[in-house]
Amino acid sequence: MGSNDEPEEVPRRDFLGMAVGGSAAAFAVAGGYPFLRFVDPPAQQPSGPVNIGKLEEFPVGSARTVVVDERPVLVIRTGDGFRAFSALCTHLQCVVAYSAERNQIECPCHRGIYSMDGRNIGGPPPRPLQELSVTVNTGSVIVSAV
Amino acid sequence: MSAARDDSGGWLRERLGWAPLTAALAAYRIPRGNIAFYLGGTTLFLLLVQVASGIMLTLYYKPDAAQAFRSVERITGEIEYGNLVHSFHVWSSDLFIACLFAHLFFVLVRRGFRAPHELSWLTGLMGLVLGVGLAFTGDILPWSQRAYTDARVGSEFAKYVPLVGTWLNRFLRGGDEVTSNTLVHAYGFHVAALPAALTLVVALHIFLLTRRSTPVPEEASRETIPLYPDFFVRQAAALTAVLVVIMTLAIFFERPLGIAADPRLSSPGGAMPPWYFLAIHQILRAAPTELLGIDGARFLVSAACLLGLLVAALPFIDRRGSKATAVLAWVLLFVLILLAASALN
Ligand code: FES
Repeated sequence: MGSNDEPEEVPRRDFLGMAVGGSAAAFAVAGGYPFLRFVDPPAQQPSGPVNIGKLEEFPVGSARTVVVDERPVLVIRTGDGFRAFSALCTHLQCVVAYSAERNQIECPCHRGIYSMDGRNIGGPPPRPLQELSVTVNTGSVIVSAV
Repeated sequence: MSAARDDSGGWLRERLGWAPLTAALAAYRIPRGNIAFYLGGTTLFLLLVQVASGIMLTLYYKPDAAQAFRSVERITGEIEYGNLVHSFHVWSSDLFIACLFAHLFFVLVRRGFRAPHELSWLTGLMGLVLGVGLAFTGDILPWSQRAYTDARVGSEFAKYVPLVGTWLNRFLRGGDEVTSNTLVHAYGFHVAALPAALTLVVALHIFLLTRRSTPVPEEASRETIPLYPDFFVRQAAALTAVLVVIMTLAIFFERPLGIAADPRLSSPGGAMPPWYFLAIHQILRAAPTELLGIDGARFLVSAACLLGLLVAALPFIDRRGSKATAVLAWVLLFVLILLAASALN
């Protein structure tokens, strides 16, 4: 240690400790940011309109679940035309199904109920089903996110 | 150990430094009949059992959405003793979580978190979080219809965690949705990231125990036994019994795979998450739409997270380890069991 009129010296051991600690912190920051960015998965881009089959495969009064962008989509054909909804229940994401008997959409997990226009009308679901648009083009049924 | 025996210890003992090692273990004393220690040893044993059986399963498992289910079906149906190894792995995973939880619970009611054991308590809780992560990611791997539903519902739980929920949800799914990426993610976590992290945490947990002259806060009245050989022999007897239990479960109570995941199929009716998520599942199922002006589920899960943080901070809040903490721990356990039981209805 220096005397009163000399600047106080940092002991060698403390200096080395600070240098190692400082370098470790610098490496942690320099490596941590790219690490966090890397493990954060990129947003999934919708693939655009998807052809889900021929018109005759969807008789009036029927419903079918198809897979669009690896997600289940419930396509219902009524006398008025087509409706398509994400088949993922807005409660805890179970896959819903159409009940022809009760003419409603039901979630089997906790008995959630949706009306035919996707509104949550019973059970725990807090929101309506997400709707997708359906068009028919030269005999093919096309589904795309709204 | 006598000097004469040390001399006759042989080549290997000499190289292992056996005599000083056993002397140090014999000098380390733990309270007689403290169930928390036996549960800790059993948890560690179950972890090792899972690592061994898990490595065997990786020889045939294919972490690909198109092939995963078939590969597990092959393990259980075509590979010799595959059914046993698979069932053994799954049952030991359930027992691992149960023992880990029970270990921490008994440490809590015996107030073993008191100074200077704060870090042991925190590493124990970290072990529980990582252990549940291991079990959950393993649950997804068969990519059966049930696994697919569990992946959906389980990752949806994460969304309600305050501050990091959305990030956690996407992170668990490997994207915005449960897709084939989710399976690859779960596989990476199950066989690499989580076991590595858990090994570090367990090593730190044990290291911290060895840093203390006694592994429990001062309780002079307690009778103690040496770690070696007394505790080791008793623990070995307990582990033999545990092994018999797992083998019995694995042989007589197979874990059916169900059917392959198909996103077009509606979820199975009354779908239940793995048992360790039943309480939180019930909270989310029964949550009112709104509580005090905010989303009911978010409110209740935030409250549960806050409770979790309080439990983690116990050594700093209840420094002396009051009896009230032990009583509250029993109450909390009772509430959890009640919630889980009502989830089954
Ligand atoms: S997930 Fe559909 S009602 Fe709960």
